[in-house]
Amino acid sequence: MIKYKNPIFFLFVIISNLLFSQQKQEETALNKEIRVKSNQFIGEKNFKKAQFFFLQKEWDSTLVYTMKQISISNNTELIDYCFLFRGHSFNEKKLFEEAKQEFQKISKNFNFYLQIKMYLGNIAIEQKAFKKAISYFKEIEHLNVYQNLGLNQSSIEHNLGTSYLHLKEFGQAELYLLKSTKRQEMFKDTLRLIRSYGNVASMYYEQYKDKVAIPYFQKAYSLSKYVKDFDVKRRAVKNMAVVEENRKDFAKALVYRKEYERWNDSLNNQNRIYETAQIEKKIAVEQKQKQVTFLQAENKVKEAQNKVYLYSGVFLLFLLSVLFSSYKGKVKRNRIITTQKENLDELNATKDKLFSIVSHDLRSSVHALKTSNSALSESLVTKNFNVLEGLLQTNSAIVNGAYSLLDNLLHWALLQTKQSYFEIASMRLFFIVEQVAHNYKPLLLEKNISFENKVLKSDVVYADQESLKIILRNLVDNAIKFSNQNGAIKIYTRNKDAHIELVVEDRGFGMDEMTRLELLKETVLLSKKKNDGTIGTGLGLQLCKSMLKKNHGKLAIESELEKGTKMIISLPKNLQNG
Amino acid sequence: MDNVNILIIEDTAAESDKLVQVLKTNNYKVVGIAKTYKEALAAFYASDEKIDIVIIDIFLNGIPDGITFAETINAVPGETKPFVFLTSSTDRQIFERAKLTQPFNYLIKPFNEFEILYAIEMAVEKFYAQNDVFLSGEEDTVISSEYLFIKKGRGLKKVLISEIIYIEVEEKYCNIITEKEKFVILISLVKILDLLNNTNFCRTHRNFIVNTEKIMEIIPADNLILLSGNHKATLSDKYKDLIKKVRTLT
Repeated sequence: MIKYKNPIFFLFVIISNLLFSQQKQEETALNKEIRVKSNQFIGEKNFKKAQFFFLQKEWDSTLVYTMKQISISNNTELIDYCFLFRGHSFNEKKLFEEAKQEFQKISKNFNFYLQIKMYLGNIAIEQKAFKKAISYFKEIEHLNVYQNLGLNQSSIEHNLGTSYLHLKEFGQAELYLLKSTKRQEMFKDTLRLIRSYGNVASMYYEQYKDKVAIPYFQKAYSLSKYVKDFDVKRRAVKNMAVVEENRKDFAKALVYRKEYERWNDSLNNQNRIYETAQIEKKIAVEQKQKQVTFLQAENKVKEAQNKVYLYSGVFLLFLLSVLFSSYKGKVKRNRIITTQKENLDELNATKDKLFSIVSHDLRSSVHALKTSNSALSESLVTKNFNVLEGLLQTNSAIVNGAYSLLDNLLHWALLQTKQSYFEIASMRLFFIVEQVAHNYKPLLLEKNISFENKVLKSDVVYADQESLKIILRNLVDNAIKFSNQNGAIKIYTRNKDAHIELVVEDRGFGMDEMTRLELLKETVLLSKKKNDGTIGTGLGLQLCKSMLKKNHGKLAIESELEKGTKMIISLPKNLQNG
Repeated sequence: MDNVNILIIEDTAAESDKLVQVLKTNNYKVVGIAKTYKEALAAFYASDEKIDIVIIDIFLNGIPDGITFAETINAVPGETKPFVFLTSSTDRQIFERAKLTQPFNYLIKPFNEFEILYAIEMAVEKFYAQNDVFLSGEEDTVISSEYLFIKKGRGLKKVLISEIIYIEVEEKYCNIITEKEKFVILISLVKILDLLNNTNFCRTHRNFIVNTEKIMEIIPADNLILLSGNHKATLSDKYKDLIKKVRTLT
């Protein structure tokens, strides 16, 4: 019994070892494919992590992330990969039942479906379900090598052979084992060859074909000397020892036994080293895990930081836009300020000009008064009383002119500063005209100008009393100024729909079209007068226009040179809004 | 007809002299010239003669006491009189304050004769709330509770209503007959009838309005009313109810 027990014992181990070596080759093809896939599913964080851990052989982490991925994804291919990872991971952890379940969940369209069969077959061997294993291997036995993607034909055949061997179907076993041996000889795969030789030898040995078996054992033993794998050496030597023992060649058997013991020790050492390495690996894994959690924490911190960056970015953008708009506003304001400055400069120039004209006019009238006064006192001294009346009249004319100029100036200033009282009320034009004209009686008399107030007592306009008087004063004053001796001035109204037109008509010098248009212009600039000898700045008419505007009125001029002028002001009959 | 009495409040003698001259030439009677707020109040309340109109200079010695005066007399509704403000400035703030002393009339210095006369008429019209009487030219009389203010020439005259014996209406003219005189005024019938509502006047005929105080004797048979001063008025059947209203000796 011992004779059989031992070979069977090591056969088993060989198979499981085969599985490992086989997987190593497989992985290279798988790994490539997995990298490609992970790029394809780059958005799937869990999958990416799963494949990372898978390639790093961190089986537990792989199981965790594949679980997560399966629970959230419904992409069949992705899930199949996950099952593959899980199956492999369980397999590595020797949880064969779980591994089998995972593998069986994989759909038939999966790229690595054949590999799965291989896995399932291997698992079946592990679970001693040799018949099942055979059926799995048979499925993939005859497939094209290219299609097998890293599957080793010899491994399949070897596994098949081994399975038959276990089932004691020696015919089939011999066929497959020899086939795989041939292949391995072809590829010079020493390690596998030793195992195959071992298995073939065991097969023959079990059939009591010692003569065929022993050369295989020897072959295995001699080859084992060239490999470093203690386990393989140990098994080969042990086989030899058993064979020699059975041949009753105890001396040789003892030598083999001793060698076997030696290799066993080495293996134990190796195992111990392996265990230490395992522990180290575990520690390393733990450290890695720590690193991972640290990285995760760091990631969280980074995410938080990113959020902070995002918010601060948004805030900065907002700040920037505020700054930009305020800058724009500033530019706009500056532009407004510039135009205002230009306007102010213009107004200031006008004011300066007004000053110079007014002061010039006042100076000349005061000067005229001075000379007239000295003439007056001279006449008094010489008792030449005849000229006194004429001189006094000249004086009063000068003073009247100067007074009206000053009056206009005052009202102009008040109008500009808007300090003056202003109230629009109903006015009877007739009385206003009467009151205004009353002041000009002496002047009219002096120039012998006939004056007619033909305004109807029923003519009512809405205006501010004081400004209306100022307007009328200026118009009457002008009319007298521009009238010849023995002229005629007529004031009358023309009734329009919403307005009453008040016409001040004289038969004086009149004016040309250019002057007329100049006077009606909306400018603040004063036109210089040609009519020398009389005081005036054009301020009066400007004042009239401004005041009329305030009273919702308008000014029009009709004039003909040498025939006379009609100054027409139109004022509303009813209260205006605003 | 009596002259209208005017009180002048003005601190500058030159100004008040000019004013007095203008007023006198137009048959107004200046009953006093006050130079300060105090004087003005004294003159206003203690005058022997009834004051009809006040002309107020806003600035008395540099402060707007004129407005204060107007505010003071306005405080007693029954005692107040029409007034005109005089000022040489058109300062808006001052005007806004002055404007509160309704009715508001003002005149900017310097002013001419026409302007002051116009301002006085406006003041009377506005005060008795009978606008556009003198100015429209269609009427010439403003009625107060005591007087008729009648435009005569460029000025105003007044007639004590209680002195009127009877009024004879002829279209838009009214003959006013008093103890002393007889004259014609231009007034609308509506206004005259208003007069009847609150005084002793009674309508005795389409054309006659009689002061019941002046009735001496009523002779219904002849449709005749004898009035004091030997005046006679007609009593038409339509208005015979009058007899019941009048106190008679019988």
